[in-house]
Amino acid sequence: MIDPDAIIAGPSAGPPSPVAAEAVAMGMSERKQARRENWRLIRRRPAFIIGNTIVAVWVFCAIMGERITPHDPLDFRSTPHLSPGSDFWFGTDKTGRDVLSRVMAGARDVLKIAPLAAVIGVVLGVILGLLMGYIGKRLDNVLSRIVEAFLALPVILIALLAITTLGNSAWVVLGVVSVLFTPVVARTVRSAVLAERDLDYVTSAKLRGESSGFIMFREILPNVSGPIIVELTVRVGYAVFTVATLSFLGAGPPPPSPDWGAQVSEGYVSLSAGIWWTTFFPALAIASLVIAVNLIADSVQSVLEAS
Amino acid sequence: MRRYLMRRLVSALITLWLLATIVFAIVNVLPGNIGRKILGPFAPQSEVDAFNTRLGTDKPLLEQYITSIKNIVTLDFGDSYASGSAVTDVIFPALFRSGKLALLAFLITIPISIAAGIIAARRQDKATDRVIVNVGLASSSIPEFVTAAVLLSIFCVHWKIGKVFANPPPGTSPIDQLQYLIMPALAMAIAYFGYLARMTRAGVIQSLQSDYARTATMKGLSKGQVMRGHILRNALAPTITVISVQIGYLFGGIIGVEKVFNYAGLGSTMLVAAKTRDIPVLQGAVLLIGIIYMVSTLLADLLIAALNPRVRLETSS
Repeated sequence: MIDPDAIIAGPSAGPPSPVAAEAVAMGMSERKQARRENWRLIRRRPAFIIGNTIVAVWVFCAIMGERITPHDPLDFRSTPHLSPGSDFWFGTDKTGRDVLSRVMAGARDVLKIAPLAAVIGVVLGVILGLLMGYIGKRLDNVLSRIVEAFLALPVILIALLAITTLGNSAWVVLGVVSVLFTPVVARTVRSAVLAERDLDYVTSAKLRGESSGFIMFREILPNVSGPIIVELTVRVGYAVFTVATLSFLGAGPPPPSPDWGAQVSEGYVSLSAGIWWTTFFPALAIASLVIAVNLIADSVQSVLEAS
Repeated sequence: MRRYLMRRLVSALITLWLLATIVFAIVNVLPGNIGRKILGPFAPQSEVDAFNTRLGTDKPLLEQYITSIKNIVTLDFGDSYASGSAVTDVIFPALFRSGKLALLAFLITIPISIAAGIIAARRQDKATDRVIVNVGLASSSIPEFVTAAVLLSIFCVHWKIGKVFANPPPGTSPIDQLQYLIMPALAMAIAYFGYLARMTRAGVIQSLQSDYARTATMKGLSKGQVMRGHILRNALAPTITVISVQIGYLFGGIIGVEKVFNYAGLGSTMLVAAKTRDIPVLQGAVLLIGIIYMVSTLLADLLIAALNPRVRLETSS
């Protein structure tokens, strides 16, 4: 179940939750056991299995690339715009390239950039969120405002603006997407940290004279790992969404790289002539990957938030 | 209530100022000669200088920053690099066209999603609920341009329902415009269905388990009366918030949809501006969308406060 408060709670501080207090009371080994139990529950969910299977197929295609595609994805020697048939299962595009081979090889770009962008965004967001939640005061006030300002705009828009001024290399796309994911992650981590900050284990660590860095990263961080894992899986889904949309809008990796978004962007122009396969199959590929990642994220979320 | 309103207004203004600062920082992150960048390496130096003077890009950064903040207050975003006409003359008509599309999308999606959310909540964990939740998950996770492309290939090309080019010819009556706008609006409606339905479902489930719902049932009210009088008032608060946030976020997805359907709205305008590196138009459009987001979330908060006395009382004390 989605908890509406978790999504719209915003930067306001909640009271320390009894669940968190219980988690602290548990010993290390018990925590490990609970984690193992969660993992077992997640693995058994059908959505998780289906999602992983689809992702695995695309990862396989991305790694093998030209070695398993039926034709060379960049070879434009066959007849343009052949409809799907026995030789070219998904037909050919306007320059006579095999659509199936291009869809298979096209998994590579998005799978290289999206997960990496999500990981960098989450790492930056965790650091920022820990600082905001634990140090608090002025720093938190100022950073919360900035985070809110970032959230006032759709990521695609700021990314488009940034890529227009910076140029569209894969590195710029990676950097821009991860920086734009940071504020959302920071907000989630911040509210999780606020619930932990006044618990006994933090107070006792302070009394022991531990440094702030130690308390944030060694004491609090393991206890907020649940929301962070959820955030990571959700962000991977959004990253695939964002990278595919950017490349459709022409702000992705430059051609002739067989990127899905770019293929849709090339293909949709000939839709009105009845040539649907150059658009339909890469569009379906994007949809399948995004849904698969979201199925995984949803199973992780429902198990971790129920426990 | 008045204090609540004032506080929300001040915080919205601060956020808007920060937003403008962020946008200014992004646009000016690369040092360099804007005139040279726009006109290319072969333009004569005198022309480049004239261009920079005309746009004010030869002034110190601080002065440019102050001008850009002033521009938001007066809703004047300067002149387009490409056409030379005022940015507002470019973006407001485009915003109007996007607004039509967005309005239609919301008219389709809001009643359907709220109904689906209520049905799912009342049949929690049964087959109907599972179907609605999973369809919602899929519909909100697929990028809008993908849905648009698939709808276009199936309905407009294969079955010839709806138009491939969504721009109605000038002088088309509002009713006739529908057949042009329906498919792109549907693509957006599908994208928002998921969030709204899941939000409504979660809100209704939470209220169904509450004490006031139990009290209302025990006092002998019918199921429908409990739903209308007690549950929906509370349960719809998160849904209203999501709708208001979507109004701003809609402009992320609309760019792709407008590109697929060749619709001349704000999204297409921004894409052209991005391609021609027409920064003032792009910057103006982004800021305008930020303002729209601020206003719509502000209105949503007021609406929630009006619906739920607990919110107004809590915050005014």
